[in-house]
Amino acid sequence: MSVVLSEGLTKRFGKLTAVENLSFGLEAGTITGFLGPNGAGKTTTLRMLLGLAAPTSGRALIFDQPYARLADAARRVGAVLEATDFHPGRTGRDHLRTLSRAVELPDSRVDEALRLVELTDAARRRVKGYSLGMRQRLGLASALLGDPELLVLDEPANGLDPEGVRWLRDFLRSFASEGRTVLISSHVLAEVAQTVDQVLIINHGRLVVETSLEHLTARVGGSVRVRSPQLPQLAEALRREQIETTTSNDHALLALGTTSERVGDVAFAAGVPVHELVAEGSSLEEVFLELTSETQP
Amino acid sequence: MIAQTKAELMKLRSTRTTLGLVLGMLALITLFGLLAGLLTHAESLNTPENQRGVLGVGSLAGVFSALAGVLLVTGEYRFGTIRPTFLFTPRRSRVIGAKLIASLLAGLAFGIVGEGLGFAIGYVCLHARGIPLVLHGGSITLVLLGTVVGVALWGAIGVGIASIVRNQIGTIVGLLAWGFVVENLLFAFVPSVGRLTPGEAQNALSGLTTNHLLSAAAGGAVLVAWVVALALAGLALTARRDVG
Repeated sequence: MSVVLSEGLTKRFGKLTAVENLSFGLEAGTITGFLGPNGAGKTTTLRMLLGLAAPTSGRALIFDQPYARLADAARRVGAVLEATDFHPGRTGRDHLRTLSRAVELPDSRVDEALRLVELTDAARRRVKGYSLGMRQRLGLASALLGDPELLVLDEPANGLDPEGVRWLRDFLRSFASEGRTVLISSHVLAEVAQTVDQVLIINHGRLVVETSLEHLTARVGGSVRVRSPQLPQLAEALRREQIETTTSNDHALLALGTTSERVGDVAFAAGVPVHELVAEGSSLEEVFLELTSETQP
Repeated sequence: MIAQTKAELMKLRSTRTTLGLVLGMLALITLFGLLAGLLTHAESLNTPENQRGVLGVGSLAGVFSALAGVLLVTGEYRFGTIRPTFLFTPRRSRVIGAKLIASLLAGLAFGIVGEGLGFAIGYVCLHARGIPLVLHGGSITLVLLGTVVGVALWGAIGVGIASIVRNQIGTIVGLLAWGFVVENLLFAFVPSVGRLTPGEAQNALSGLTTNHLLSAAAGGAVLVAWVVALALAGLALTARRDVG
């Protein structure tokens, strides 16, 4: 069963087609990056998934139901579409309370969500005094109120400083490690590359590619960086598997055109300990730009 | 629906806007109450109709009740909170329904406070000037009840109109223009139509009997009909339209 299922989702505004025949599914426990340049149709797609906009054709299901018909939606799905959806004169805590009341969650849950996003100290201040990063976290707190199984976040890294991005990444990783599912959109692949397991790339409203991050890297000649106390043995083992290698200047081995699973498997079979195994993402942004420019009409 | 209504009441309570509306209402009613109670000639204050006007000056609270109802909807679209609101409660009819109930309750409070103050000012003015009350108990009860109920209903009218228009400035300007200009012109020049407007229906509900006004009961019925019609239109449009 897919947690999120989009089937032929299409949205037209007059003559403009914002989203065209978009089909994909998300499995439980995954973090998916929903990527595309600004104006690619990401937000429109998320609005349709979340019942805020009606598809022109096709359908979007969450836990096998259209969002609008999902019983207990707020307890199963947490979502943030805009980082700025607050009344400036309301305190952060009261903003959450206007939402928690609607679904009969206790104030203790509000305080718990504020603690999760580390906003307890600012909770009783009016939102107009919040930085963009604080607003992002308050939005995230609203999504977490119902302790959901699925998180949908539109451009959650916008306005976060590097520390905030790292915090968000760790947070989402631990969220997904509990078997829960995350869908985050971004127009910058690098922003989410270290967070997501798989990517959906769209451009001009159409799906360009749906793949794991590793395959995306491999596909354009990406490499895997591996460190080991027995580098020569590992290099030899990889060569036997027809995997080309080069040595990097920091005493690591770069395995070219492969995936980290493959390198890990080879190392395991060869009985070589591995101290570091990273799919190199240095060229990811180029991949992304290439993919999203290929479909220019 | 009860939970959602609590959420909507929380929205009203948790910003200073509502407090501003209450203060504005108290100031305006005090001003108009004193003006009407002190500056009207004593002999003209001897008529039941004019005494109704002075004692029912709290009907001005209807403006503020309506504004509270409007802001409860347009504020959500203006600041984008409509998105989390609908994400938490995807059944939009439940949201609008709760806003209608919350605005009726808030309107009731506006009405009780506003008419309480207005009636007190009017009563004190009459008493201080030695003008005898010519209204009997039933009429006074009608002034009080009719005004409070009318003010409460204006809250729901605000929610209904705002759900149709959505834009804050547009709704407020339209509502004020309608209430203070169009209704008065209609009633002055085509009273048979003008008396069916919500404002004149509220006047009738409070027991005012100026020529052509409906009876109190009919006025109440017309006002309720406005509430129902606007609420149904607002519900239908809100269910159909995309949220940006």
